[in-house]
Amino acid sequence: MPYILSVIFNILTSGLPCCLLALGIYLTFRILDFADLTAEGSLLIGGSFAIALIKIGVNPFVATLVATIGGGLCGYLTSVFYTKLRIPKILCGIITMTATSSIALLILGLTDGTQSFINIVSLDSSNQTVFSIFYFGDPIYRPLIKAGVMLAFVVLIFVIIYFFFGTEYGIAIRATGINEKMSRAQGINTKRASIVALIISNALIGLAGALICQSNRGCSVGYSTGYLVVGLASIIIGETIFGNKSFRRSLIAISIGAIIYFVIINVAIELGLNGNLLNLLYAVLIVFALSLPLIKQGILYLVKERREKHA
Amino acid sequence: MLELVNVIKKFNISGNKEDERTALDHVSLQVKPGEFVTIIGGNGSGKSTTLNIVSGSLIPDSGKVLLNGFDITKMSEYERAGYFGRVFQDPMVGTAANMSVYENLEIAYARGRTHKPWKWGFSSSHKKFFIDELKRFDLGLEDRLNQKVGVMSGGQRQALTLLMATIRQRPSERVIKRDYVRFCETDKLKAKEEVEQGFLLAKKERKNALTALKTESLNKEERKERITKINREYDSKISKFDLTKQILLLDEHTAALDPKTARKVLELTNKTVRENHMTTLMVTHNMKDALTYGDRLIMFHLGHIILDVSGKEKDKLSVEDLLKMFEDADKKAEQ
Repeated sequence: MPYILSVIFNILTSGLPCCLLALGIYLTFRILDFADLTAEGSLLIGGSFAIALIKIGVNPFVATLVATIGGGLCGYLTSVFYTKLRIPKILCGIITMTATSSIALLILGLTDGTQSFINIVSLDSSNQTVFSIFYFGDPIYRPLIKAGVMLAFVVLIFVIIYFFFGTEYGIAIRATGINEKMSRAQGINTKRASIVALIISNALIGLAGALICQSNRGCSVGYSTGYLVVGLASIIIGETIFGNKSFRRSLIAISIGAIIYFVIINVAIELGLNGNLLNLLYAVLIVFALSLPLIKQGILYLVKERREKHA
Repeated sequence: MLELVNVIKKFNISGNKEDERTALDHVSLQVKPGEFVTIIGGNGSGKSTTLNIVSGSLIPDSGKVLLNGFDITKMSEYERAGYFGRVFQDPMVGTAANMSVYENLEIAYARGRTHKPWKWGFSSSHKKFFIDELKRFDLGLEDRLNQKVGVMSGGQRQALTLLMATIRQRPSERVIKRDYVRFCETDKLKAKEEVEQGFLLAKKERKNALTALKTESLNKEERKERITKINREYDSKISKFDLTKQILLLDEHTAALDPKTARKVLELTNKTVRENHMTTLMVTHNMKDALTYGDRLIMFHLGHIILDVSGKEKDKLSVEDLLKMFEDADKKAEQ
């Protein structure tokens, strides 16, 4: 396979699960206006459930489903902290995230007969993942199949999310995020709406975690660190470039934003960036993405000025 | 009928005794159906607190809130939203800025019933209805249905909130049945039987009409028309059992607007209230407005109702009279 193609598939296989991650974060961060730090925790839970269950011989699709539900449970936990115990929003997520690193160790420990705490669990070559089930023919096509399966997941989730937020309940959730007082006055049970939104968001992130870990054929307790930044950057890059005029537009923008993010990272690595500097690049990317609206404005202004000069 | 019975509300109870502030002190109030009540009073006199207790934003320390004799004191804000339409002082509060006019209206139209996750939230028949309603308001909003509310002026937003507070879809049959029993002031068992019988009769009539239609030879268009007519008749029969007429709660809803816009919104309010015969509680700082509009005037002072006039007695009052009463009450409190 040509080298360039392998890079493209590398971008797609790391970027597509992050579309789901970014969509999940978008639901809380933008729609519900809830800075939810559970994300990295539910990503970890999703990944560890998927890997642990596959390793003990569960069907990979069932394992992925359980991972999704596990992510949703993390969201539910956070929402209970917020709505029932009235803990500040930011702390709720941090508490859940802290708890999940222990829970993930417990889950990963299931694969070991002794149930002792272990750090890294890799799949055996005999274990099937949701991707390897579809591997036919020449091994050369494997990255293509992998990307295809991921794309199928993304499209499925995209359609579900789009239609759900067009239903009466979906609109009620969106209203809750924009104006809670008005929503209550209009008869919306805002607490329940927050709970549902957090569950859906974290379920998506759990699914993303399951896909990422199955793609890597392994899971460690520390793997999810840094993914929150990836999700936020995807949202900001997508929204700045493609706009957020309507709900559908935002959803598409964010999915593409995640891909663009990985394009930038991969190009940097191909150009010979030291792997140790990756986190620095992440930070620079975030600052760049956040200042994009200003840069966009500046460019538009310059273009306008030039046009006026020529006219 | 809306009733407050011996309502007490204190703020800062947990702190020092000195910080404690009594917002409402044994307040009792009865509002008849269709009455337009204006409420005035100084800052911290308890007028807004009254409205918040009626709407459920605040729970009273003691006392009761009754709607047609049914105790709604402990009912949460969103549960009773179906019975009340509200407009707030801040134009930003009443509408969702990041949603279009149309989406805001859809939310308001579903007020007081469950938001179903399996039902599509938009419908073209609703849209038609909204456009007609907006046309009645004469603000040019009917052409801007897809515009986000955030870009509109305070006056327009307040007018939109007013419309949102007055439109509401007929509740589901289950809710109508529940509320008919809940809000009937006589025998509950009899009321239950009554509403069940009424529903059965209406359903039977609709069924008969539809079977009769099958035997007739009509073309497609005529048939469609007849079916809508039958459904409309059925709807109106069911609606007769809908006892929960909307109560409008206006909390200084023109205070943040410039005088010209405020006048326009007030006129619009008056028109809407009169056309729909709505029970209305309007809090205002403007004594002239309180005298011009409404058929009953209530004055609050330090958590008590010190004036409650209606009809001819109210017409005789002037702004000077009201000011004098304010000053007298202040003097009395100082002594």
